[in-house]
Amino acid sequence: MPKGKLLARTAGFLNAIGLGFDDYNAGTRIYRMRSQSVPGLLAKMLNERDIPVQVAVGNYDFGICSSDWLQELQARYPASRVFKVADLGYDSAGIYLACSASADISAEEMAGGATAWRIVTEYPALAEAAACKMRLKRFRIFPCWGSAEAYPPENADFSVLRASDEDALRSLNLKPVSKLCDSNACIIASRDSLQAGDFSGLLKRFASAADIKDKPWRKPDKPAAIIDNGLTPGAPRGNVWLALADGHQQVHTSAFLEKAGIRMEGYSRDDMRRRPACGIGWLSIKVIRPQDMPQQVANGNFDLAITGRDWLLDHLCQFPSSPVAELADLGFGWVRIVAVVSEEMPADSIGGIRELISRGRMVPLRIATEYVNIADKYLRDRHIARYRVIPTWGATEVYLPEDADMLIENTETGQTLARHRLKIIDTLFESTACLIGNKSSLAAKGKKAKIEGLIKLFREAAGKK
Amino acid sequence: MESQRCKGARDLLPDDMERFRQVEDAFRNSCLNWGYREIRTPTLEYIHLFTAAGTLTPAMLGRVYSFLDWDGWGGERVVLRPDGTIPAARLYSENLSSQKVARLYYITNVFAFEETGAENREKWQCGVELLGDCDRTSDTEVIALALETARSLGLPRIELKLSHAGILKALIAELKLDSDARAALLDEILEGNWQAFTSVKSKNRRVLDALSTLLKLKGKSSGFLANLKAMPAISKGVEKEIDGFAEVTTLLDTMGISYAIDFTSIRGFEYYTGLCFKITSGGARICSGGRYDNLIGLVGGRDIPACGFAFYLDAITAMVKPLSLQKAEKTVSVKVTKKSRSAVKTAFELAASLRTAGLTAEFDFCGRQLEARWTVDIQVKPAGFILKDVKKTTQKRVKTAGEVINIIGGFSKLGK
Repeated sequence: MPKGKLLARTAGFLNAIGLGFDDYNAGTRIYRMRSQSVPGLLAKMLNERDIPVQVAVGNYDFGICSSDWLQELQARYPASRVFKVADLGYDSAGIYLACSASADISAEEMAGGATAWRIVTEYPALAEAAACKMRLKRFRIFPCWGSAEAYPPENADFSVLRASDEDALRSLNLKPVSKLCDSNACIIASRDSLQAGDFSGLLKRFASAADIKDKPWRKPDKPAAIIDNGLTPGAPRGNVWLALADGHQQVHTSAFLEKAGIRMEGYSRDDMRRRPACGIGWLSIKVIRPQDMPQQVANGNFDLAITGRDWLLDHLCQFPSSPVAELADLGFGWVRIVAVVSEEMPADSIGGIRELISRGRMVPLRIATEYVNIADKYLRDRHIARYRVIPTWGATEVYLPEDADMLIENTETGQTLARHRLKIIDTLFESTACLIGNKSSLAAKGKKAKIEGLIKLFREAAGKK
Repeated sequence: MESQRCKGARDLLPDDMERFRQVEDAFRNSCLNWGYREIRTPTLEYIHLFTAAGTLTPAMLGRVYSFLDWDGWGGERVVLRPDGTIPAARLYSENLSSQKVARLYYITNVFAFEETGAENREKWQCGVELLGDCDRTSDTEVIALALETARSLGLPRIELKLSHAGILKALIAELKLDSDARAALLDEILEGNWQAFTSVKSKNRRVLDALSTLLKLKGKSSGFLANLKAMPAISKGVEKEIDGFAEVTTLLDTMGISYAIDFTSIRGFEYYTGLCFKITSGGARICSGGRYDNLIGLVGGRDIPACGFAFYLDAITAMVKPLSLQKAEKTVSVKVTKKSRSAVKTAFELAASLRTAGLTAEFDFCGRQLEARWTVDIQVKPAGFILKDVKKTTQKRVKTAGEVINIIGGFSKLGK
């Protein structure tokens, strides 16, 4: 079952067909549930994006998610052992290829080979299939964790993103180029499960929804608050570009900037803009996901960014010769990155895990994590002979012990881990927010002094109580 | 034992490699005799080389092995070479474009995902590219070279099939479809779904009729193309393509090369612009090729006419008979029963003499049974050799290496 935007209406749907789970609500802290009405029916709550993958690998018989994530998986892996059983008729939207409302890209220009088109998206496989189909001669896909709408026109030519309709795109200051596919909440199933087991009782319940006249769960949700994506008047050439975080890091970053004496306009909970102002003429700011910042700094879209050291290290594990470096430790947002196993695991260290593997247990070792590249390097360096990294998009605690053997996770107090009956067997490193930058920006004549000034300012602010 | 081998990957065992080299050698000999020179391109290429419109179809791009390199933060992915011609075209445009005509050949592996893992995901090709020569004789040249190579391998029932991408593309253009419908139709056709024409909604019925006739008939001579040209729906543009095709078939007629014209015989001709051909042996495809006059321009060079072909090594190696039986005739097992220092030394010296005489000498220090026609037992006291002919079950005691070579029949340059 999905966390996040689909949760409330999915709960409504499941209740209506008699498959409700008491703890399946927005405030829940329980991710693993047992049905009161159907004996033997167990459920877990995952990030929506992970659900098709988990059903495809056979960890689950059924899943509920937006069909766009299923299509994304199938675009990359056409042989996936998962398929759509039924549309649920809510959360309808489309996946669009869009450019900035201010951009003017003609069909001839798109077909030509003069530009290597930059496409930012949460749907890299769908975006690539579309680009190939349109026979774009040259393109680069930048997978992102979110906020794809923020990139055009300065940092990308196109976004491939989800929007309820073309008007919704326009309200994001974007212009649709083409619609790649429709999306709906849907029930998906494992091919192998349906071929081997009897799930007729459950399928009948799903089908019974058709007979229910009143379907409150299908009523459109209040539109989610959107972040103003308006363009600011063209920044002068040679400006320094800084990326700041949206999401839950925003509050801390905002407080830090205030401490550093930078007055922000449009970077607070009540007034959020993708391009906030800061009163420094040579500094242009954009708000994106912290996970995406290191690569965006590496490819020159931004000179500087405030993100977590965890995401910088993950980037450096993937691209060891990347031009991105940490310029200042800002001190806030402290977490530990840890290796975690179930309390029942008869091992208390990574050496113990290796010992278990050598005795033929857990081959291959399955590691669920958001930090794919850190996990990969960690296991390589610890001489774990056979392992599989399962990429996740959050809510990773719930994977143990059934769907993974180990996690690489961040934790502040360890309380969430303890509540899920998990134990820490190793600390990989500590992470705090830091200022990262592109080394070539630091060497650039017009930017060097400005960036050095900012580093000094930030270091001083970090030292203040 | 559970196999540790990757799904869709294949081990080539000594017998496989012998056949593989046999095909390679036949191909290389033909190429060298015709004045072609060998090239080798890197396994990794940037993906944009293959996305440049018209080089690979979307379906083929959906099966490439691509990834971000260790320095791929710029988002540009690299691929394991999925095709031999496109890298060769790049190599030519970057290094050899000052040559008016370049005759190149290569033996290379190409990578493409295949879902079931039953087929190889890594395949081998022997390819030829003739760049810079637009005369129709070059189409004929590459066809003749391909046929000669196929025959030199002694493959059974070799047949040549011809098609023409230029005619098909010109006719599709005459359907006057909107760009989306045209692209969708072309994608289907390139994947070999010829039925796609039947569902096309075009006002130009006469062109559709011409297309369906084209696909139904199988021609055997240039006369077939003359008939085609006389059909009512054929426009000037299509006529020009047919004329080009007829020039080649007339040449083939003159040279006595038989062929069948079958427009449905070729698929995946995305970068082909003119004549396409396919060679089969016993009905199985072993080679395909054609003319691709736009490709060098698409990969960043000047517009240069070009044509070429590739042999599919995996299919062919399964068909050829290994020469290893012949090889056993010339193999001598040099055997040391009582291992003394002087016996081993004598064995090494004898083996060296045998090899110089063009024979294969394989040691046997542990009493294994080797697959060799001849065995030589090293004798220390008195010094000499016992030479056995395993096939005739005879044996003879001889004193010198020269005698051994004389009896076996190597080309002895040694004194008695």
